[in-house]
This record gives sequence, C-alpha cells and structure tokens, in this order.
Amino acid sequence: MPQNEYMEMHRKRYGRRLDHEERIRKKEAREAHRNSEMSKKLQGIRAKLFHKQRFKEKVAMKKTIAAHEEKDSRARVAPDSTAAMPHYLLDREGVSRAKVLSNTVKQKRKEKAGKWSVPIPKVKPIADDEMFNIIKTGKKQNKAWKRMITKVTFVGEGFTRKPPKYERFIRPMALRHKKAHVTHPELQATFCLDIIGVKKNPSSTMYTQLGVITKGTVIEVNVSDLGLVTPAGKVVWGKYAQVTNNPEMDNCINAVLLV
Amino acid sequence: MYDFKAVKPVAKAHELIDTVLSRVMRKSATQIHPQFHITRVREFYMTKVRLAQTFWEEKLGQIVTDFPRLDDIHPFYADLINVLYDRDHYKLALGQVNGAKNIITAIGKDYVRALKYGDTAFRCKHIKRAALGRMCTVVRKHKAALEYLEEVRKHLARLPAINPNTRTLLVCGFPNVGKSSFMNKVTNADVDVQPYAFTTKSLFVGHCDYRYVPWQVIDTPGILDKPLEARNTIEMQSITALAHLQAAILFFLDISETCGHSIQAQCDLFDSIKPLFARKPLTIVCTKTDLQPMSTLDDASKALIAATAKDAGASITSLSNVTEEGVMVVRNEACDQLLASRTDAKKAGSRLAEVSHRLVVTMPKPRDTRARPSHIPASVARARAADAAGEDLPMDADEAAAAAAAASSHSAAGPAAAASSRTEGIRKLEVDLEREQGGVGVYSADMSKNYLLDEEDWKRDVMPEIMDGRNVVDYVDPEILTRLEALEAEEAALEARYSREAAAASALEAAKTPLERAEAIAEARLAKAVRGQRAVRSMQSRLRQATNSAVMPKTVRGRAMTRPGLAAHLETLGMDASGAAAVAKAAPVRRQGKRGRSTDRRPEDGEGADGSDVEMDEGVERAKRRRSKSVMKGVAAPQEGEGFRDLEMKSRAIKSSRRAQKKMQSEGRKGEGDRFIGTKMPKHLFSGKRGIGTTDWR
Repeated sequence: MPQNEYMEMHRKRYGRRLDHEERIRKKEAREAHRNSEMSKKLQGIRAKLFHKQRFKEKVAMKKTIAAHEEKDSRARVAPDSTAAMPHYLLDREGVSRAKVLSNTVKQKRKEKAGKWSVPIPKVKPIADDEMFNIIKTGKKQNKAWKRMITKVTFVGEGFTRKPPKYERFIRPMALRHKKAHVTHPELQATFCLDIIGVKKNPSSTMYTQLGVITKGTVIEVNVSDLGLVTPAGKVVWGKYAQVTNNPEMDNCINAVLLV
Repeated sequence: MYDFKAVKPVAKAHELIDTVLSRVMRKSATQIHPQFHITRVREFYMTKVRLAQTFWEEKLGQIVTDFPRLDDIHPFYADLINVLYDRDHYKLALGQVNGAKNIITAIGKDYVRALKYGDTAFRCKHIKRAALGRMCTVVRKHKAALEYLEEVRKHLARLPAINPNTRTLLVCGFPNVGKSSFMNKVTNADVDVQPYAFTTKSLFVGHCDYRYVPWQVIDTPGILDKPLEARNTIEMQSITALAHLQAAILFFLDISETCGHSIQAQCDLFDSIKPLFARKPLTIVCTKTDLQPMSTLDDASKALIAATAKDAGASITSLSNVTEEGVMVVRNEACDQLLASRTDAKKAGSRLAEVSHRLVVTMPKPRDTRARPSHIPASVARARAADAAGEDLPMDADEAAAAAAAASSHSAAGPAAAASSRTEGIRKLEVDLEREQGGVGVYSADMSKNYLLDEEDWKRDVMPEIMDGRNVVDYVDPEILTRLEALEAEEAALEARYSREAAAASALEAAKTPLERAEAIAEARLAKAVRGQRAVRSMQSRLRQATNSAVMPKTVRGRAMTRPGLAAHLETLGMDASGAAAVAKAAPVRRQGKRGRSTDRRPEDGEGADGSDVEMDEGVERAKRRRSKSVMKGVAAPQEGEGFRDLEMKSRAIKSSRRAQKKMQSEGRKGEGDRFIGTKMPKHLFSGKRGIGTTDWR
C-alpha cells in the first residue's frame, strides 16, 4: 500500500525515467509556443484574464531586468573638492551607484502618493428629479406629493416613521446605511466605523436634513475604537469624514477622515 | 476506515475566483440593453449576484465539509493531525473558510436588496460589479488559509491507512534497533531500511495473516529518552500511536548495543514511556542476537532486562533479523497475547452477556460403538508414508507399465525411452536431456519428437516452406483430406457410369435377338443425349459466368423465365405442363421495384407466335397482341438539316444550333426557358456565427 513519501522512495530506489531531463527541457521550451498559441486563440473573458496575467508577468520580468541592470551601472562623479581628502585618494574619482539615487526617488514618490492632499473639493450637484422618485397616491392615483429617495441615506437610531398619510419622504430600508469604511489618511488604514450623523450634503441643505449620503458629503463617524486623543488628553469619539465614492453605486460608503 | 484521499483538491484563491466568475458568466444570460424595462434589467443583474453567491457557497462549503472534523474522528487520528499540522492552525484555517462563506452569503443578500432600488441599468450594473468584487476580495484575503489546507490535503492523502480498532502489533524502540527490518520480514510492506538512525520518519503500516485473520503491524519512528515537551514531530507520531492504539506492543531492545545506545539507556527509555503501555500486552524483544547471542550476554545486563520486564509485566523474547531466527516466534507470541487479551476484554464487556443466551453448543451423541474414520486411499497413504520416510515413491508393476506406455506414445525415442523410463520410473524431461547431452548452448531441443501425427515416421518429414516460389502455408487446406475423399468417391461413381455405357455398347454388339438389340440401341441413345445435354448446360453456365456486363437481377430474370419457358422446359423433360402452369398462374406474383409496364409482356419479335405459351388464356393473349404497324410508321424520320439551300448552309445551321444549346447543357437546363434556381440561400453559406478567424473559408 503506498503510504507516506512513497513517490520519493520510488525515485530513490529506481531513479527517474531515462528521458526525464529531456522531457522537462522540452516542456519548458514548448511553453512559450503554447502561450503564444493560447493568446491568439482565446476569446472573451478567458482572453481577458489570460492577457492580464501575461501582462503582469511581462512587467515583472522587465522590472527585474531593469533592477539587475541598475545594480551594475556605475557613474563617475566628481570628488567633493571642499571636503578634506587624504593625498593617496586625490587622483581617484568617486563612484556612485545609480541604484541608491533611484531608490530615494522612488521612496519620495511613494510618500507623495500616500499623502492625501485634500478631500474632494468639488462635487457634481444632484438635481431633485434624480434624487427623488415621485410616488402617485390617492384612490385614482392622481396625487403626486410623495417622494422616495433613491440614494443611500442615514437614518438615526430613534427614528419613527410618520403615518403614511403624512409621510412626504420615504427612505427605503435597503438603502439605509449605518456604517462607513473610513480611511485614516496618516495611518493609511481603513476602519469600519458607525455613522453618527450627516454633517453636510453639499448639494442641498434639504438633503442634509434628510440624511442623504452622496459623494462629497461630510459625515460624522464614531472613532472611539481608534483611541484618538485630543491635545488636552481627552478621548475623541466623533470626527468628520468626507465620502469619496458614490454609495448608491457601490452599496457601501467609503470616506476619508478629516484631520 | 477514514477516506482521507477523498478530500477534493483545494484551489488557490485566484484560481477559485477565476472559476467562480467565469461560471457565473456562463450560467447566466449575457444580453442586456439599457432600453429594456427596468424590472428586467434588475432581474438580470440580481441573477448574477445570486449565482455568484451560490457558487461561492458551494465551493467554500465543499472545502469545509470535505476536511475531517477533529471532534468526529478517532482520537488517534485527531492527535496525529495535531502533531503533524497543528490543531489550532487547522481549525483556524477551516474556520476562516467557513467565515468567508458566511460573509459572502451576507454580501449576496445585501446587494440583491440594493439592486431592487436600482433605477438605471448603469446603476444596476455597478451594484452587481461591486457585489462580485467584494465577494472575491473576501476570498482573496484568505489566500494563506487555502494554501495551507491544500498542503494538509496532500499530506493527509498519504497517511498510512491505519485502522485504530483492529488487531494490531505496534513496534517501538530506540532508533536503529531493527524495527523496520522486522516489519519487512513479517509483513508485505516495503519499508526503507538504512544503517543510520531515523530512517523511518513517520508511521508505516503493513499487513500479515496469522490464524486465518489479517493483522496490522505498525512501524513507528525511533524514540529517544527525553521529556515529552522536548520531543520533535517524528517522535511525537510514535507517542501518538502508543497512546491511542489498543495494540500488542513490541519494545525492541538492541542487546548488541550497535545502535549506539547502551542497554541501560534503552531500559531507561522503557521505564520513562511505561505509562503508555498500560493495559496492553507487552513484549520486550531483544534483537540482533546474531551479533550478541542471548547466551553470551553478561549477567548484569540480563538481570537488568529481566528486572525491567518484571516491573512492567512484560515477556522477553529474542530475534535476529539477519538470520531470521525467532522472527516468526516473536510475531506469533505477540499475536496470541493480543488475541487472548481481546477475548478477555470481550468477555468482561457487557456485549457478551447480550448475545450469550442466544448461543447453544451441541455435542452430537454417538449412535453406536462402530468407528467411522475418514477414508484415505491406499495410494495416498503410501505416498504420505514415503514422504515421511523421505524417499521416492516405489512403483507398482501396473503403474510402471502405464508410465512406459505413456512414454512410448509421447516420445520419439520409442522402445529405448520406454525401457529407460521403466528403469527410472519417471519420464525424462527436456532439462535432463539437456544436462546429459552437453548442457545449455550445446543441446538443441528436438521440437518434432512430440508431434501428434497418424504415423510415426511422418514426424521427421521435411516440410519445405517455399516451393516453386510460393509460400507453402498459403496453400495448406486443413480439410484437404476430406475433399480428396469426396473427389475420389465422385471419380468412382463416374467410372461406374462409363463402364455401364461401355457395357451397353458391348451389349449392343453382343446382342443377338432384335429385341435385345433395340433395347441396347435405346439405352446407348439415351446415354448420348444425357452427355450432350450436360455439355450444353456446362457451356451455358460458363458463358453466364464469364459475362463482364451487369447482371440482370434474379427477380426480373426469374419472372421473365417462368411463364413462356416453363412449359416447353417441362415438355422436354417429358412431364405434364398443364398442371404446373395452373399452379404458376395461381401463385401470387410479388411486385418488386416500381409499378410500370409488365416485364412479362410479349417480346417484340414473333417469339410468342410459336404457340408455346399454353398458360396464357385468351383474354390476356388478345391484350398482349401487338398492333400491326400503320403505313406512316414505315416513312423514314426527317434527316437533320434537310431543307437547306446547300451543304454549307446546313453545316452552319447545325453548328449554330449546337452553340445555342451549349450553355443550357453545361448548366443542366431543360431548355431556353428554364430559369430555375434551386436554392436561393443555401443554409450552409448563410447561417452560424463567425469566429475571430478570417472569412475566406466560405
């Protein structure tokens, strides 16, 4: 009965088949041909996936090659004349590696990209007819004073609906959200935090009152879990954050903490 | 017992994602347009989200259910899995997969709900996209867990199939004391044996039979004498097996000390792992007695081993794997001990009481005092006695004669061989002959001497393979003899016939009286007529067969022949034709082929006028009679080109008419007016989607 490392054992006792190396070599050599054939033949989603993968591999390969070349390239630099130099080093030229330089450049670029400059300063205004769905009421369905909000809303804890007869705005349950994914711009970490309220919806004050959350809306979130403290030493629990995505499109709220 | 091999492979995270997404794509509709009614659009995207959710649940659920739950399996395996893969890690990984599944379920529900409020196709599409993306992200986060589970699966499938509840011998001891060698000797397993310590790195199982029941022998890795916490994974496997398996334990103790540990150290190890041996049949096996026999062992060591064994209530045996001395004894003793202890345990248990009242032992009473022993044939008894005495079987006279007869019939050597076989009592084998006549390479075996042929001297006949440039085997006919006999019989019959004719001729000459003469003449004439008729028949047949043209179907040929030819044929044979004609008429004529003009219509020329068609009645005769030719038929048809001015004009006209017809004929048209187009759009040229390829193949 085969058990444990039976394949290795067999290999140890009887070796591999005689043409094993040859087969492996051929398999590797044919791989490129197979890939090119596949890339010509595939269609649709498979082609998309395949090409994406291939592209990634090529990029990775190019990067490695570039890194290797960078390591080897040396550039002459003029010696710093102001610094004191021992006499036996005077006629030598300083050599610097490009790699160090480029690394610092990369590092800087990275840092810059990581920094959140400013949260969304401009938003597209949302018109009423986009925001509201008119609902016909009445026995003859001829009254049209009722509205349903088609965007994501925040509804506070203790909210009770008015009787339907007087309810002007309906905020559907499916579009009510209580949590937001808030990114701390300095920590570069994202937390799922409770929403406390809607501070301002830039499109309209009415939207603010209704608790509509659209892109660019400033919301107040509960950051007590993060353990932030004020300069005075008190624990901060409410902080503002600006929504960065279209919540009605993604069915979730992403926001940046305003610090 | 447990089928760990049945666990399905766990795909990597990105592979899982590709699989699920493309499956969603394939299983759901693909056509959607913004102008569709919004409910239809919503339904379209909801289906996709729901499908993705179910596929994920399926995939992840299978992983969770496939892997064994540590609480459900035997504690031996649970502990082994703990030792090998770390129980916490294992549970955590499965828990993560299960958690991912639950999160995906929640996401699916959430997004389907949100889709109900999607007011545009664009928004619906976005929500669907977000849903699928979030599901994939959840799985991608557990990449490491999936990889770990795949590794575990691969290893799990290779674990030895140990049944924790069956009869088991468990071999343990220091490294390099001969545990694996014993295993190889006793069972069918093929375990690696090397002269260094820790060759065996995991548990191995082998099987053997004793007392007609299968036994399981488990080879464990060697263990060193250290505290439990300090033991490594390899040793822990041994400890697990010792702790959980109810087996007969064989503690191997190397008395030659070539394993590098003194007897004292080995006894210390025995003492330190003694708690694991509790309530199990235990044997201390002193190994390598070929290097250090028990008899020459110094007294101190002997006393030490005896004391150790006595403390634990173990028995002491010895074996040598090299000389195989005592190997089977050790196994049998251990098996017997275990069997006894298992029986005791069963007796002590409550199960026996449940079934014991249903057991009845019957003792048959002897009906009289006569002894009825089993019958053993005299020859068998003799053979057994001879076997016991260690000599060849002496032969009876008649047996020897039978053997000689057999030898003479089967061997070419004939009487000499028979004589020799009588003296030796055994037929000579080819091996013996070879040995006698010069051995391998010198002696060439005679293949033909055992041929079964009708006559003895045919055996040596030389049979050519090629004769006259042809392969003889191609012309061998296995039934040639029977055919030859048939031919000869026919020849004899013919001979007899011709001799009769000759006799008739001679009788003609010899006939004296006119009456006899007349008879003789008649007979001679008859014989001649028969000969002539036969010659004609054979000629006809030859002609018929030699024809190179298409053969008229038999159905047609047969019908054409019956009516007109039958009567005349019967007349010539001297039979009454009228009755046969009536029968032929009455017989239903089976129609074959398509309906058309009768094939038994009267032939064109006046063949029917000879009055031989007796079977035709008057009405038929009239109907079939041909109309006489009218005068107009006698006028020759107009020749082509008549009525032209001269030959030149005629030939031109002919040419031009042929030219005019050329196109019609090449296109297969009926005439000038035929403008028929068969199929206006041939299906194969206009249907089907086109792939990415070029279009030139159509």
